[in-house]
Amino acid sequence: MPLKRLAITIRKTLLIAGLASLSAVPLRVSAQIDDHQYSTAAIQAGFKLYSRQCQLCHGTNGDGIAGVNLARQRFKRASSDDDIKNTISAGVATAGMPAFRFQPDELSSLVAFIRSGFDTSGTPFKLGNAARGKAIYEGKGGCQSCHQPKGEGRFNAPSLSEEGSTRQPAEIQRYLLEPSAAMLPINRPAVIVTRDGRTLRGRRVNEDTFSVQLRDQDQVLHSIAKTDIKTYELAKTSAMPSVAGKLAPDELADLIGYLVSLKGP
Amino acid sequence: MRLPASRWACALLAAFSLALPVMAAPVSAKRIEQAAGEPNNWMTYGGGYGSRRYSTLTQITPKTVKRLQSQWVLQDNVIGVWESNPLVVDGVMYVTQRPNDVVALDARTGKVFWVYHYTPSPDAKVCCGANNRGVAILGDTLYMGTLDAHLVALNAKTGQLLWNTPVADAKLAYSITMAPLVVKDKIVIGVGGGEFGIRGFVAAYDAKTGQEAWKFHTIPGPGEPGHETWADDSWEHGGASAWITGSYDPQLNTIYWGIGNPGPDWNPAQRPGDNLYSDSVVALDADTGKLKWHYQFTPNDGYDYDSVQVPVLADIPWKGKPAKVILWANRNGLFYVIDRVTGKFLLGKPFVKVNWMSGFDGNGRPIQTPQPEGAATYPGNQGGTNWFPPAYNPNTGLFYFSVWENYATIYRREESKYEAGKVFMGGGFSVLTPAPGAPSPGIGRKGPINNWTDETGSGAAVAVDPHTGKRVWTFPQFDVTEAGMLTTKAGLVFTGGREGFVYALDAKTGKPLWKSHLGGQINMAPITYQVGGKQYVAVIAGRTLVAFALRD
Repeated sequence: MPLKRLAITIRKTLLIAGLASLSAVPLRVSAQIDDHQYSTAAIQAGFKLYSRQCQLCHGTNGDGIAGVNLARQRFKRASSDDDIKNTISAGVATAGMPAFRFQPDELSSLVAFIRSGFDTSGTPFKLGNAARGKAIYEGKGGCQSCHQPKGEGRFNAPSLSEEGSTRQPAEIQRYLLEPSAAMLPINRPAVIVTRDGRTLRGRRVNEDTFSVQLRDQDQVLHSIAKTDIKTYELAKTSAMPSVAGKLAPDELADLIGYLVSLKGP
Repeated sequence: MRLPASRWACALLAAFSLALPVMAAPVSAKRIEQAAGEPNNWMTYGGGYGSRRYSTLTQITPKTVKRLQSQWVLQDNVIGVWESNPLVVDGVMYVTQRPNDVVALDARTGKVFWVYHYTPSPDAKVCCGANNRGVAILGDTLYMGTLDAHLVALNAKTGQLLWNTPVADAKLAYSITMAPLVVKDKIVIGVGGGEFGIRGFVAAYDAKTGQEAWKFHTIPGPGEPGHETWADDSWEHGGASAWITGSYDPQLNTIYWGIGNPGPDWNPAQRPGDNLYSDSVVALDADTGKLKWHYQFTPNDGYDYDSVQVPVLADIPWKGKPAKVILWANRNGLFYVIDRVTGKFLLGKPFVKVNWMSGFDGNGRPIQTPQPEGAATYPGNQGGTNWFPPAYNPNTGLFYFSVWENYATIYRREESKYEAGKVFMGGGFSVLTPAPGAPSPGIGRKGPINNWTDETGSGAAVAVDPHTGKRVWTFPQFDVTEAGMLTTKAGLVFTGGREGFVYALDAKTGKPLWKSHLGGQINMAPITYQVGGKQYVAVIAGRTLVAFALRD
């Protein structure tokens, strides 16, 4: 298992190596540096505290409150670590959030857990050299043939230009190694045949009891009433091939290093 | 053209009546008891003491329902899920807004008469949203429980505060989110805080003075029967909240109340024993609060299966004899019928996939089958159903409620230490999802996009036959739902869901007859009332309260 091979490495040294390599490329890295100044112990302590004190409202994935997504660093009030600590300590009376009386190290651990992007698995990962990763992305990895900058590649593959601000490294690694198992339900490739004979292939963007919204392979948005659908299939297999066995562990690390460096335009 | 004199008189009368002030008689206890006789009004949380949410109004029928049209809209400016149940008395609607505002408005036009604003103490803590589910009315007085666990009385004409009684200590995370229940000359209310190590209770207050009349602790103290179901001092912080309104049977002079989960929520090993009266229905003497009987749905619960569902009182034949029963779809995934005179268990049947138990022993006690560590428990943490009110229609004989299907949770159990006012939950949980870390449903919806999909659980409105516990029909929804139910003599069921649709379903078949998209989640039951000869259906969706009536 490639996952287990990676696990042998010592996380802290790798993170430092990753940071050093990142600083060599002209990218926005400040958040990245912040992200990785937290110890595994703090993240795990934060996870425990979070699941006891915060999860019931904020949810398993940190998105339980409208307009807030803690794992994705989307807040209403906070942006800095101190902001987060202040919000936790002061509460938000108007929204029914109580003021929590935590010790300073408890507050830090919660921040660490949030900044880790809710990495509850603790899966070790390695951040390699982003410049080398870019070369793999465009070359050997074959990523670019589908994942183009504005999402216009084949198979409706999403743009990865903001990958570093939306996904944590461990999650990116899981996608690269086991794309079908990691695929979120909403992303299952959809094939819809309508009663008037049209075949639409693409990806769901939303669905409710009566309709499904789909972006097809030509980037056209469709909103289809279910009463107009003849057949509706969702594939459980991702169109993306796994990189397991195709990339060496160091190449995988470089590729992850590159992807987390992508912070959007 | 001249009109005959009689037609003139009619026209004049009609014109005059539009401008007439509402002739409101005080809401006496007798009037509430006989609420079924005045379907124009919705005078209690459950639409009458039996909490059946059944109306005999018949202007809106399966045939006419397609002509429903929005009449007016009240916009709320408070962020968060709006779970309030409006009351309507003699043309005036009273609705609460988060956290503790009361609004009185013209039920025919939506024009506001007054707004009462209450600021809860900053000490107020709630696990799951700064909710308030509505007021109660007696005489010319409104009663509201507050987020910081006070009970306030307001002049219904002016919104002026009459008295304000502390019910419990908000610093210890007691709270009130439920609508009070009026019983004779008393106001009965329960407390929330089951996730913070409270010791729950239901208490009654003198309607005139706000003085406490009686208090029933939902966890028996030393020397009381049931105390032995708590090991060591676990009873002191064992939760057993009471955060949803109860029901009342005037003939039996008995109040019925659903009791919440024991704490810490997910670590039953920390509180060995049955943990009475958590996850139970209790029957209390209406005058003294003394326990008459209880039935416990989930002994030594480790899943947060609050039994706070409003008890629905029905009089139905049971095995050939007339019976006074309670109908109950529980968060634990089972539908129950309980004899409300004796507390005897009559029936228990799963209405969704259930794997925490495998059946009942001869006394109606569940045979529990805890899942191995890391395995999924059905139904999941939010339950097969939850607090959102069901309805019972004596005409169809069916019981209606919202369910979450194919929804499961993996629990992590940990030792928790009680600290005053802090969360006391005994571990954590995750929802079973097809991919690690995939989005999943929790409390309330977060936005207009459903990216968790039905693979993590889906919702449905269902009808169950109380005699068999089996579903008669299912109206499936793609997303889960927290909408309550309203049913009418004309043969309709009104409900909604998280997707923002309000529905009218055929009460016999579940067939959708009408729907309207209101763009915000529906987290309470619709109500119905009549003013000026017109039947209205009022429903709250997102931040709007919409009143529908038939197009002229």
